[in-house]
Amino acid sequence: MTSGRLLAIVLALAVLEGTDTPRSIDVSAVAREGRVYVSCTFATSTLDELGEAIHAGLTTSITYDVDLQRPLWWFDRTLASAAVVTSVQHDTLTGRYQLTRTIDGRNEDALVTDDQVAVKKFLTAFAKLPLFSTAELEANVEYVVRLRVRTRPRVTWFVWPWEPSTATGSARFTFIP
Amino acid sequence: MAEARRSHTSLRLTVPSAAPSPAKPARWRPLRDNPWLVLLGIAGLIALLAGTMTLANRSSRLAPDFLSEFVLYALSVVDLTMLVALGFVLARSVIKLLVERRRALPFARFRAKLVTVLLAMTLVPAVLVLLVGSELIRNNVDRWFTAQMDETLASAQRIASDYYHERQRQVSDEAARVARSLAAVDLAQPDVRPVRDVVAPIVNDQRVALIEVYRLPRGNEPSGTLVAVVDVASPTMPIGAIRASSDRLAMRATSDQPDVWLREPLESGGELIRAASPVRRPDGAISGVVVASVQLTGDMAIRARRMTKAYESYSQLRVLKQPLTGVYLSFFLLVTLMILVGATWMGLYLAKRITRPVQALATAAREIGAGHFEHRVERETADEFGSLVDAFNSMADELATSRRRLERSTVDLEQKHTEVEERRRFTEAILERVATGVVTIDEAGFITTVNPAALRLLGLGASVVGQAAAVVFHEPDLLPLAVLAQPRGVGAKDPPAQELSVTRDGRDVALAVASTRLHSDDGGSDGRVLVVDDITPLIRAQKVAAWREVARRLAHEIKNPLTPIQLCAQRLQRQFATAPDHVKALVDECTTTIVGEVESLKSLVDEFSQFARMPAPRREPTEVHDLLRRILVLYDGLFEHVRIETLFAVALPRVRLDPDQIRRVIINLLDNAIEAINQQGQVVVETQHDPGTSLVRIVVADDGPGIAAADREKLFMPYYSTKKRGSGLGLAIVRRIVAEHGGTIEVAENQPRGTRFTIELPCEPDGAIVGGAA
Repeated sequence: MTSGRLLAIVLALAVLEGTDTPRSIDVSAVAREGRVYVSCTFATSTLDELGEAIHAGLTTSITYDVDLQRPLWWFDRTLASAAVVTSVQHDTLTGRYQLTRTIDGRNEDALVTDDQVAVKKFLTAFAKLPLFSTAELEANVEYVVRLRVRTRPRVTWFVWPWEPSTATGSARFTFIP
Repeated sequence: MAEARRSHTSLRLTVPSAAPSPAKPARWRPLRDNPWLVLLGIAGLIALLAGTMTLANRSSRLAPDFLSEFVLYALSVVDLTMLVALGFVLARSVIKLLVERRRALPFARFRAKLVTVLLAMTLVPAVLVLLVGSELIRNNVDRWFTAQMDETLASAQRIASDYYHERQRQVSDEAARVARSLAAVDLAQPDVRPVRDVVAPIVNDQRVALIEVYRLPRGNEPSGTLVAVVDVASPTMPIGAIRASSDRLAMRATSDQPDVWLREPLESGGELIRAASPVRRPDGAISGVVVASVQLTGDMAIRARRMTKAYESYSQLRVLKQPLTGVYLSFFLLVTLMILVGATWMGLYLAKRITRPVQALATAAREIGAGHFEHRVERETADEFGSLVDAFNSMADELATSRRRLERSTVDLEQKHTEVEERRRFTEAILERVATGVVTIDEAGFITTVNPAALRLLGLGASVVGQAAAVVFHEPDLLPLAVLAQPRGVGAKDPPAQELSVTRDGRDVALAVASTRLHSDDGGSDGRVLVVDDITPLIRAQKVAAWREVARRLAHEIKNPLTPIQLCAQRLQRQFATAPDHVKALVDECTTTIVGEVESLKSLVDEFSQFARMPAPRREPTEVHDLLRRILVLYDGLFEHVRIETLFAVALPRVRLDPDQIRRVIINLLDNAIEAINQQGQVVVETQHDPGTSLVRIVVADDGPGIAAADREKLFMPYYSTKKRGSGLGLAIVRRIVAEHGGTIEVAENQPRGTRFTIELPCEPDGAIVGGAA
């Protein structure tokens, strides 16, 4: 085997190793009353993976990076972005979960519960969050809402500077005023 | 001469021209060559290493998530950067070394070996340490999390949690029991004693530390809030217990939420566990809320919290086991990479520091070898390499000085050589042009040089150079030369000059030969030189002069008595006019003969006089063709069977000559030619121009019977004639006229038959060319 062929195989393996296919999430978007409402449902298996971190008392968060884009030829132009962060802090003494949700750093919702189902639902889904204004949108034009999910803390032994997304999803809607 | 030219050429070749070395700009000194900067870099590296080690030591005090999110990220980035830097340095060095080796640059192999050895010396132990250390770290981290530790901490946490839950359930039960007891009590009545009667015993029994009763607002009271009815606290409750939290808890209880409770820390260090339960009337409607609180003492709460904290810390460490392992491995990898980068850089630096002065010296040696003597090596260090550079520069200085001296000597030598060469060319030109033959013979008797005049006079070829003189001069007429060329002793006198006569081209040539010894610088002999002079014209002139003297004397001696003889004869004729006829006839016959012969003698004497008193030519620039055409016009139609043909050159320069005398010469030659062909045949008059010798030739040729070779030279002698009549002075006068014009006249056999007279007259070298053959 030539050195060039060996190098190609090594590079291919490295690329495959680095491109962990993100899991999909259900995303829906609707424009109404001057706002773009975004809903999202994220697979709870991810939360199961984070369960050990949550029950160890670590502040665990799921960040949803949401981009409002307009399809333009073969690439999309980003019109606005928003970051929805849901985090949970578990009190191991009382067994209660303290949940918070922020949008672009602004507190949006909070919940204290010991119900794990409620915790999962709070962390992995949100419904009809008004993330964007429709003031900049053109009528009868199709837009795309793209959503990437990142989880904290990372529990790998090596952190790449180019962190892949845990999950991605998108939804299209046509703005009709 | 040729030898001298060769040696001159070789001198030029062996001494290259001293091209000045191109001025080089002041070289910027690289930062890596500054020792202070190098030391500063090493200090920075050590500081970074120390900082990394300090951070590693304090890593246990840092929050696990901070370690994983910040430290691990930073270390990963730094590791990647170091890895890229190391790869870049290695790749650059490898490529550079390969290129240098391919270009066969000096010390490329040595540098490659040095860098490879240094890198291998560092790489092998560093990688080994990295592998072993990584394994140790992983094993140690794994040992943190044992099943026994898991069980212990989990049990402790469960105990604390169960205690909390037990107390929470207890207080909830008490709240519910009090709420049921108050179901029949009107909470809205002003008298609160019935309520206190229900609550106080429970507090007094220390089942709870505090009970607070609320009721719903009446119609005229603001809605959305609860009204505190009564609160009963045990004496152990700290004064000023937080009321706000119980209000919020009571409000939550009105919304039918299950398990409404909370935990609230106290300023005294303890905690309150509070539970709320709605008070329902018999009809099921909520009329109020009971909030019961139990107090956990400070020690108990702290212990429980510590147990929970320990469990959480342990659980977090377990969760973050991989990131923590990564942090320590990254620390280790970072240190290893720093060592490798440092070692690689140090290897390259050392290799460069070692090879660069030597490389600079090698380059400088090549430059100086190429003639750039001004090239110098910059001294960079004060060590042995610096001394070597100084020694090299001193050597280059001395070489440059020697080179300058050599150049000056070369210039002087070239100047002298030029002078000698000019003198040689001058001498050569003289020998080439001189009419005197010069032959040099070395001491061994071999001919070394022969000039063209000698070759022509002696009838030799140029191949005689290098041959023995005795062999070259073996012909009978040249034998005297062989005798003169014989080597003689250093003290021997030069032999006297000799005259010899040789035949060249059918005519006799008189030569005078003198032999002279060549003296060398050391007083010895370098051979002999034979000088050969053609003395034929001299002898001829001597003969002519003698004949002129004879003619003058004859004319003088003969002419004087001729007139008396003629007068006497005429007198006799007159005296005997009256004599008898037979006497008169005899006298007339005799006197007529005497007078006629006297007239002939007078004519002869006049010719002698003319020959003896030939006037000096009056030269003027004359067009030869024009002169010849005017002469030839005289012969037009004169001889019916004679055809005079002209072959004139395309162009001839003007010749300074006496037209009358030259006309006489040409007419004499034409008359002779017509007479030679017996007035029947062809006569050719031809002109030629030889720019090389600046001569104009006039040729008169006939196709007559010709003249025998032995008689040709005698033709120009006075009183020699092949004709039955004539004085024999015609051609003698012709030769004299031509000679007095600085020219020559030669006679030769015409081809295919007849005689050919050639007159050569000098013309001006840069004289105007007058053209046109008629």
